Amino acid sequence: MKARILVVDDDEALAEMIGIVLRNDGFEPVFCADGAQALDIFRSSRPDLVLLDLMLPGVDGIEVCRQVRAESDVPIVMLTAKADTSDVVRGLESGADDYVPKPFKPAELVARVRARLRPGDQKAPETLRIADITIDVAGHTVSRGSERISLTPLEFDLLVALARKPWQVFTRELLLEQVWGYRHAADTRLVNVHVQRLRSKIEQDPEAPEVVLTVRGVGYKAGA
Amino acid sequence: MVSATKQGPDPASSEGERRTGVPAQATPGEAADSEQRAVAQPDQEPQHHQTAQHHQAPEHTDAISPGFRKFAFRVRIWQRRAVIVSLRVARLVKTGILRFLPALRYVGRALQKRWRRSLQFRTVLTTLLLAVTSFAVVGAYLSNQIANNLFQERLTQAESETRYNVKQVQETFDGAQVTDQSSVITLVYDTLNAVEGRGSVIQRRYVFEAMPEQTKPRNRWVESRASDQLTVSVIPPELRKAVQESGKDQYWASTVIPVGTEDRPGIAVGNKVTFNGTVYELYLIYDLNTAQQTLDEIQSVLWAGGAVLVLLIGAVAWYVTRNVVSPVSHAAMVSEKLAAGQLQERMVVRGEDEVARLGASFNHMAASLQEQITQLATLSQMQQRFVSDVSHELRTPLTTVRMAAEVLYDARDDFDPINKRSAELLYNQVERFQSLLSDLLEISRFDAGVAVLDAEPEDILQVIAHVIEGASPVAAEYGSEIVLSAPAGAIVVDMDARRIDRILRNLILNAVEHGEGRPVTVTVAASESAVGIAVRDHGIGMEPAEAARVFDRFWRADPARARTTGGSGLGLSIAAEDTKLHNGWLQAWGRKGSGANFRLTLPLRQGEEIGNSPVQLEPEDNITTGEPGSVPREPDTRNILVLETGAARLAPVPTTKENP
Repeated sequence: MKARILVVDDDEALAEMIGIVLRNDGFEPVFCADGAQALDIFRSSRPDLVLLDLMLPGVDGIEVCRQVRAESDVPIVMLTAKADTSDVVRGLESGADDYVPKPFKPAELVARVRARLRPGDQKAPETLRIADITIDVAGHTVSRGSERISLTPLEFDLLVALARKPWQVFTRELLLEQVWGYRHAADTRLVNVHVQRLRSKIEQDPEAPEVVLTVRGVGYKAGA
Repeated sequence: MVSATKQGPDPASSEGERRTGVPAQATPGEAADSEQRAVAQPDQEPQHHQTAQHHQAPEHTDAISPGFRKFAFRVRIWQRRAVIVSLRVARLVKTGILRFLPALRYVGRALQKRWRRSLQFRTVLTTLLLAVTSFAVVGAYLSNQIANNLFQERLTQAESETRYNVKQVQETFDGAQVTDQSSVITLVYDTLNAVEGRGSVIQRRYVFEAMPEQTKPRNRWVESRASDQLTVSVIPPELRKAVQESGKDQYWASTVIPVGTEDRPGIAVGNKVTFNGTVYELYLIYDLNTAQQTLDEIQSVLWAGGAVLVLLIGAVAWYVTRNVVSPVSHAAMVSEKLAAGQLQERMVVRGEDEVARLGASFNHMAASLQEQITQLATLSQMQQRFVSDVSHELRTPLTTVRMAAEVLYDARDDFDPINKRSAELLYNQVERFQSLLSDLLEISRFDAGVAVLDAEPEDILQVIAHVIEGASPVAAEYGSEIVLSAPAGAIVVDMDARRIDRILRNLILNAVEHGEGRPVTVTVAASESAVGIAVRDHGIGMEPAEAARVFDRFWRADPARARTTGGSGLGLSIAAEDTKLHNGWLQAWGRKGSGANFRLTLPLRQGEEIGNSPVQLEPEDNITTGEPGSVPREPDTRNILVLETGAARLAPVPTTKENP
């Protein structure tokens, strides 16, 4: 079955071009040119992934991202003309999993889409623990005691990667490779922002983290 | 001092008309002084003409006017007083200074600072000092003059009264019937008591003393006597001598008379009287106390008035200078605010005087400044926004073009040769266009000041290894290798890894591009506060003057040179901006024929000073390359773009060399 991808972009030429590239690589693109209609089309088309331009007429991309994230865990990749820190971070904080700065190469776009769509590993029944957090890998659930914590797939993958090797310190590059699936340098800010989002959900006090610890100058590791 | 006046017809009657506010001598001290210094040598020759006065002093043999003598006498008194007062003040100041030295120093410094910084303070203080000085001079002169006049007046009165009284006494004595002792004694005593004055107030007192050497046998009945509390010792010896040795002349001297428990200044006027063939000295002594009191009162009024006057002058000076200075200091304050960027700041203008004109023209200046600055700022902002907007607007179509080019490029094998080459050219140039655009956008971000440092502690060796790894394929194309010379372990630096990556990639690719196939050396060393990375190539090199310009935008060493790697010409400018953002140094060194060396120095922790760069800018191997005609090695400062505070030194670099 072809993966369906919703492309939300007001520039018709670019949307068409993205469509050509995606079709070429065996995806089924669905288009939306208006932020206000994005949520309706998302509901009706039920895509496997959303490519979302940050600057949209009507409702702005950040808001669309927030709306989609509110009702679905579907991967969201942002397309942005502004690679400024503030914009990227704002996008990632509103729930996007990844971003691709314009102008991008077709191969780069496809690689990112594939990375987000890669079929979940065949997960053996496995239970991991970090600090007071319990992770059921097969059941895709995280809980503290009896309380369920809801995470996006990306956040879940990040937490599992750290929890599997609690003795290891992960550099940002290593996390990008293992969690996002990028072989070559993407932006390490991706890691920073997602770690912060993860912390805000699983830490008792995000200011004094106990589950995901920072190792100064190197990266992150799981808490004891 | 003794004055001799010829006894003549007395011009002043005194007995009945005692004047109030009788003038007098100055202070007791003065009186004592005059007593000590009274000149003993009166003129011996009989005087027969009016007011011929003769004085004999050792230093002045000529006749000197009495006014001058009095003046000289007073000058001496004032000198003495001044010496005493200054000695006391000196002692007081000495002990005071020792005790309060630190506080005094502090106050002194504060006053000095005030003096330097406040025109108003300076003016008021100067005015006060001048006022005090001039008032002291005028006051001293006035007080002296008044004292003189008082004394002179009193002296004249005393002389005429004495003349009259002595005449009366002599007439009484002459007409006395010398019969029996008791009546004679009564007569003499009554006469003398009458001299003291009528009524309850003693106007003058007397000392009646028989001359020690008599030409005739002495009258045994009449003894020497004096008013209450007085003895002959109150009469200065010089005066007695003068009276004794003269004929019938009258002399005077200042003296001190005991009244109750206190000593009072007085004048003693002496003459001789004869009773029954025996010659007596008769001295009349006038109390100068009332005159002294009057003088004291006048003086205190004078000084109090002076103090008030000085304060008033000070207040006036303060008010006047404040009126002038406060608009000036207001202007200074406003211009400081203007300079600090508060362009809307204006002076308050009141009235139409010079100060108001100053304020108005100042405001005019500020307004035109503000207008121009705002205009410039708007222009510059518009320009930056324009560049930024253009870059953004170009991105979306460029993305489409790029994707389309790539699709065509991927399918180029299906095209005929012409279309295939076109697809290749399109693809390559779109690439180049895109890198130019992104560099332009980056620069516009720096210009707009929106670039912020997103620093986190990270290992810079990892970043370097990563960059070298990425550059290796390019180096291989050029046939050169990249040699890393770095210490083992990790060097953790507060940095924005994305920017440091970009700087190093730029430096290393530049070195590879200009290295002419020779090895490129990357040297890393760290000190306690900084890390230094030197990227050295051995290519064609550049002139020092060129090294100074490599960070300029779109600058190329040789415009004719092929742009093989298609750099935007903004790479090093962006690197310099990125470095500046890290508070680091980016410096270039170059020699024609000896290659170039670029050094990046970063503080290990943001907010700390670098001090010295751990690696040397001018490479050590520059001497060994010593090609004929190469420039002799010398410290070269021309190519240092970022000012160094200390000399660079070569840090020990472990010999672990790895070849990526």
